[in-house]
Amino acid sequence: MTLTAFLLAGLLLFTLGLTTVLSRRNQIAILVGIELMMSAASLNFLAFNRFVAPDPAVGQIVALVIIGLAAAEVSIFLSILMVVYRAHHGITVEEIRELKG
Amino acid sequence: MNPTAITVATTFAPFLAFAVALLFFMKRPVLAKAIVLLGGLVSVVGSLMLLAGGPREPVRFLWFASGDVALRFGFLYDGLSLSFGAVVAVITFCIQVYSIGYMAHDPAKTRFFAMLGLFGWAMLGFVYSVDLLQAFIFWELVGLASFFLIGFWYEKPSAAAAAKKAFIMTRVGDVGLFIGILIILNSVGIFDIPALLDPETGLRAALSPGMLTIVMLLIFVGIMGKSAQFPLHTWLPDAMEGPTPVSALLHSATMVAAGVYLFARLNPLFMASETTLLTVLYISTFTAILSSTVAMVERDIKKVLAYSSISQLGFMLMALAAGGFFAGVFHLITHALFKALLFLCAGSYIHHLETNDMEEIGRRGGRKMRWTTVGLVIGGGALAGIPPLAGFFSKEEIFAALSHRGILIFQAGAFAAAFLTAYYTFRMIFLILLPARTEEPAHAHGHGNDSPLPMLAPIMLLTLAAAGVGFGGGWLARLLDVEREHHAITSMLPAIGIVLAGVALAWWDFGRRAATRTGFITAVKPLHTLFTNKWYVDAFYANVVARLTDMLAGLLQTVENKGFDDSFDGAARGVVETGSFTAKLQSGWVQSYAAVAIAMMSILGIYLGLR
Amino acid sequence: MGFPVLTFILLCPTLALLVIMATPASRVSFVRWTAAVSSALSLALSVFVWLGYDAAAGGLQFEEIVPWVPSVGITYHMAVDGYGVALLMLNSLVYFAGVLTMWDLSLRVKEYFAFMILLVIGVYGVFMTQDLFFFFFFYEIAVVPMYPLILIWGSTRKEYAAMKLMLFLLAGSALLFPALLAIYHEAGLGTFSLVALAQHEFTREFQIFVYPFAYVGFGVLAGMFPFHGWSPTGHVAAPSAVSMLHAGVLMKLGAFGVLAVCVRLLPDGAVYWAPIFAGFAAAGVVYGAFVALKQTDFKFVIGFSSVSHMGIVLLGINLGVMGIASADAFNGAVFQMFAHGIMTALFFSTVGFIYDRAHSKTIADFGGLGSQMPRAVSIFIVAGLCGAGLPGLASFWPEMLVFLAAMKTVPFIGVCIIAALVVTALYVLRVFEQAFFGPPNPKWNSLRDLEGWEVFPRALLVAVLLFFGFAPRAMLDLIGSSTNLLAAGF
Repeated sequence: MTLTAFLLAGLLLFTLGLTTVLSRRNQIAILVGIELMMSAASLNFLAFNRFVAPDPAVGQIVALVIIGLAAAEVSIFLSILMVVYRAHHGITVEEIRELKG
Repeated sequence: MNPTAITVATTFAPFLAFAVALLFFMKRPVLAKAIVLLGGLVSVVGSLMLLAGGPREPVRFLWFASGDVALRFGFLYDGLSLSFGAVVAVITFCIQVYSIGYMAHDPAKTRFFAMLGLFGWAMLGFVYSVDLLQAFIFWELVGLASFFLIGFWYEKPSAAAAAKKAFIMTRVGDVGLFIGILIILNSVGIFDIPALLDPETGLRAALSPGMLTIVMLLIFVGIMGKSAQFPLHTWLPDAMEGPTPVSALLHSATMVAAGVYLFARLNPLFMASETTLLTVLYISTFTAILSSTVAMVERDIKKVLAYSSISQLGFMLMALAAGGFFAGVFHLITHALFKALLFLCAGSYIHHLETNDMEEIGRRGGRKMRWTTVGLVIGGGALAGIPPLAGFFSKEEIFAALSHRGILIFQAGAFAAAFLTAYYTFRMIFLILLPARTEEPAHAHGHGNDSPLPMLAPIMLLTLAAAGVGFGGGWLARLLDVEREHHAITSMLPAIGIVLAGVALAWWDFGRRAATRTGFITAVKPLHTLFTNKWYVDAFYANVVARLTDMLAGLLQTVENKGFDDSFDGAARGVVETGSFTAKLQSGWVQSYAAVAIAMMSILGIYLGLR
Repeated sequence: MGFPVLTFILLCPTLALLVIMATPASRVSFVRWTAAVSSALSLALSVFVWLGYDAAAGGLQFEEIVPWVPSVGITYHMAVDGYGVALLMLNSLVYFAGVLTMWDLSLRVKEYFAFMILLVIGVYGVFMTQDLFFFFFFYEIAVVPMYPLILIWGSTRKEYAAMKLMLFLLAGSALLFPALLAIYHEAGLGTFSLVALAQHEFTREFQIFVYPFAYVGFGVLAGMFPFHGWSPTGHVAAPSAVSMLHAGVLMKLGAFGVLAVCVRLLPDGAVYWAPIFAGFAAAGVVYGAFVALKQTDFKFVIGFSSVSHMGIVLLGINLGVMGIASADAFNGAVFQMFAHGIMTALFFSTVGFIYDRAHSKTIADFGGLGSQMPRAVSIFIVAGLCGAGLPGLASFWPEMLVFLAAMKTVPFIGVCIIAALVVTALYVLRVFEQAFFGPPNPKWNSLRDLEGWEVFPRALLVAVLLFFGFAPRAMLDLIGSSTNLLAAGF
């Protein structure tokens, strides 16, 4: 296994996530997409950490922070979604366009 | 007593009376009347004391200092100011007394008497001014008093309009005057009248002849406004909307004479500018004739007298411009007395018989009001220039001055105007004295055959003055310190002849039993139309000047609304529209924002990567 | 440093503002009395300053210096020179009369007085500060409350007027702020002190570039033609006391700014631009008079007369800069600020009264009001005659001085503006004739005239006009030394 393989996997993961974020209408799905992108970032950190970094601990720490961050983000995101659902009776992005000019 | 203190008392007593009456006695007309009369009396006594004291050095005190301009206001005591000041004070007082009777039934007496006080202050302040700007200030204040008094019966729209017209037209003149005196200040740095008149260091030395002419012409514009000379004369007949005592005081005897007085005050400067003198002569001669012709066809007694005032003011200016300083001042003083008398008589008729129309006055038995009629005849005789009444002597001086000047056209004009004056004056007398058919007089107030004593006393006093003051010429000449030549009786003959001719024609037209009572001028249709329409000067103002002003104001109003307002509103609206246009870019769709953001970041990344 | 009287003048309204904000809105009469007491105290202190100012010595007096933010050179520096004293007095008089004029207000009294006092604080601050930062700070404080004051308590198209006024004034500030920062930066002294900046010699190019920004920025507030559009609309919409403060004092801030900042700091720029700005000012004088002739609303007539009269102030300043009759022109400009302030305050105070009673300010609705409201009409007539430049009332002298300077410097302008006197008289007398004279309109027979204490604030202003009309030296001696100092630079 080389660094390139990991990076390609990360890239694939990121692209999938990005496509999900931009194309799905359901906000839960968008959240899943964001999670995928963050996983891709974590994967990149770990891969670089494994192959090129002089100090092996940093990448892992960053990956752990990202996991924690993702957890916090999910909880906030879901609680916002609850409120949005109550107000709009739906959670698709088409319905939530109050900032339209 | 200190002359300064006397002058202060003389000039400020009426002002105090004005202020006290207006502030405290609004509801107590009797007290207000008393206090204004007291103020008037103080002025009379003070001005007579000053007159008795004779000419002395002026006094001055610093009033105003800004930058290098320092104005020293004060009082001037020469023959001119002393004599005219006394005349003003006496006539003002006479008219205040007269007003007790005339305004007895008016609800707003306090206001009337207070304004007479204001006028007395302003006019006396003007007469004694040593400083040109001080004179200008009082000149304006006199105009203010005139505004209030013409518009005294302000509920009458015609009175309100007349007051406005008088103020505006004199203002037009004042603009010229103001510019003139500012040029004086800018070129010599002083306003002090004696210093300006000084031939070595005064205005004549400081200004080039051309500039001097401009300045004097500008000052003359002010005089035209105040002394009602063509073309700024039309306010004066309209000013007759005011109560008759006001017409007597302001609009014949004193205020309108302020312009002539100013001319006499600055006489040496006017003498130095030949162009100005000729202009003045042309304008005043034309004015004298124009207004006499209108007086020939007017039926309203006050209007006749108003046009007669205009014409007599023209006479005075002719005299002054022809170099007859003494003649002009003499006529100024005699005219003030006999014209005040005539107006008081007119007021007496109007008050008693309640009509302004001369034929109506005659028909309602005006001649039965004995003292008033005596006053009218004496005053009329003086106005016409019948010897030995006051006007004869002063007019004689004017003819002499004009003959010294020796320009035929002005002499002829003066004779024509004198002839017309005699004609219209005796037309007035005959219409009142010898009415076509006599009806029983309708007594307005149901008592007595003449006006009450407060009205008659001033009439009697002024009758005496109009009859006798003509003999005071020698004394006045000494006071003014001028040489007065003696006129042989033969040189007076043409003047007497022309006056008698005028009287005879008036007799032919109006006096004799078989008279047509229409006047010879009706035979010449176009002239008659011209005269009855007052030479179309008023029509010109109403239709051309007023309309042009209105159009200009309307144009600028359009510029304001359509130009400035709309363009700024448009700019604001443009901003709003730009905003709402760009707002359309905001779809509110989170994913499109994300897509744009990512695209931008990718472009940035590629750019940075390639660099 | 002696008794910090200027700070106390500023504190009077400030404390009143705090007290009023802490008062429950229902205690209306307490709010009124607080405002009245604070204004009376400020007036008393202003009189003290007037009397205490040593006119012979001139220059800045009553100085108070406290460092505020030393790192950028902001100092709490309060001091007044001669014309500052005159304008403080003007503000105090108008504030005092304004509070009394609005005594009968019933709508949101607490908020009204709070905003009005905030405005007054700003004006006081501008007139006494010698620090550019505080100058701008107070300047904005004075401008901003106009918006709610007009929007809530106004009349006649008030939303439009409030917005228009705000946009114009903020646009002015937008020009001004960069100009002031540029001055601060260019000097490189690290201080906002006006005194220090005034001594710095800016390069001629810099002055010529920056001056028009600062001038127009201030000029907008002074009703400078052709950026005057906000002022008549604003006057008309604002409630009486706000119109009084607005036309009486606020517009003077602009002219004061031109004098105290632009001319003082950028003399070369001022000289360079003076002919152009003098032309605009003179055009404003004539234009305002003519447009006033066509108005059908009392307040619009006064509004355009303000444009005309403020044109005389700006003209005076520009003529002063031109250096031929500097002292006269500056004296005229400052004196005119004072006289016009008192005069318009009187106008609006009286028109406001008539409007409150009759609920109309259309001239044609009236006629013969003179016999129905003799006192109010008499007072209006005094103000009107003052506007027409009649001797014996305060504005004659400044107008004469400016005319004089104009005749000396640019005779053409002089002749034009003196001729405009006729138009001025015409629009004033037109109002008299149409609204006050003529047969009384029976519709207004039941109107109540000014009574008792209601006369007091107006009578006070009339007395001030008469006093300075007869004793111009009282003013000229006060401002003369300072304006001479200013004029010496040109």
